[in-house]
Amino acid sequence: MKYILMMNTMRAGAGVPAWPKADLQAHIGFMHNVNRDLHEAGEWVSAEGLSFPDQARLVQTGKDGAPVTDGVFPESKEFLAGFWIVDVDSPERAYAIAARISTAPGPGGKPLNMPIEVRPIMSAPPQEML
Amino acid sequence: MKYILMMSGTQTGVAGYQTWSQSDRDKHMQALGAVVKELVKTGEFVATQPLAEPKEAKVVRGEKNGLPVTDGVFPESKEFLLGYWIVDVTTPERAYAIAAQISAAPGPGGIPTNMPIEVRQFMESRTAPR
Repeated sequence: MKYILMMNTMRAGAGVPAWPKADLQAHIGFMHNVNRDLHEAGEWVSAEGLSFPDQARLVQTGKDGAPVTDGVFPESKEFLAGFWIVDVDSPERAYAIAARISTAPGPGGKPLNMPIEVRPIMSAPPQEML
Repeated sequence: MKYILMMSGTQTGVAGYQTWSQSDRDKHMQALGAVVKELVKTGEFVATQPLAEPKEAKVVRGEKNGLPVTDGVFPESKEFLLGYWIVDVTTPERAYAIAAQISAAPGPGGIPTNMPIEVRQFMESRTAPR
């Protein structure tokens, strides 16, 4: 069964580039290890990091079908910072992987204990969507 | 450049969708399916995935001992990811145009839902193993 593990951040929490370089490298190294272990366990499907929230746009359709874009968001909005898709045998395994990701080190090497949202995804898109 | 187009909604919004007639739901899914078919033809399609209902969502944190702590209680205002499309396009404007097409998918009575679609670019340097 497939799960998506989502790392969300408030805009205020998006200051990762301000970390000391060594802390940033430790954080990225930790994530590399997670991805490598998932790959070796055959549980890795995909993982992506997203660009920062200042580049996010909300898009709706205008009357003529042309896109209308908006880049202003409420302060409380959660932004997706990155995600992993894993293929595991049980929800408990998905939660265990999320718990590991949650403890990725932040400034000073302290675990961030970030909340990771875990959601089951369908194994294939519905037939009518293909 | 790769973009993720995200459709989100609250639990109230999801409950509203579940009251749509089967015919309205079919037309909605067919319109979204037509968008995907076109993206496959243009070579811009990477992936699409609907997510299971928000009631199955869990937020996970890693405890000091590394064990997962799960929580499934969310504020009513929380926006849940309902589904996404990943596209590989040459300009942000093209990503916005695709998002506008998705936003125009019909709702009850064939009226476009005009749902806001969040458009986010993937980071260039990926953490995924190669």
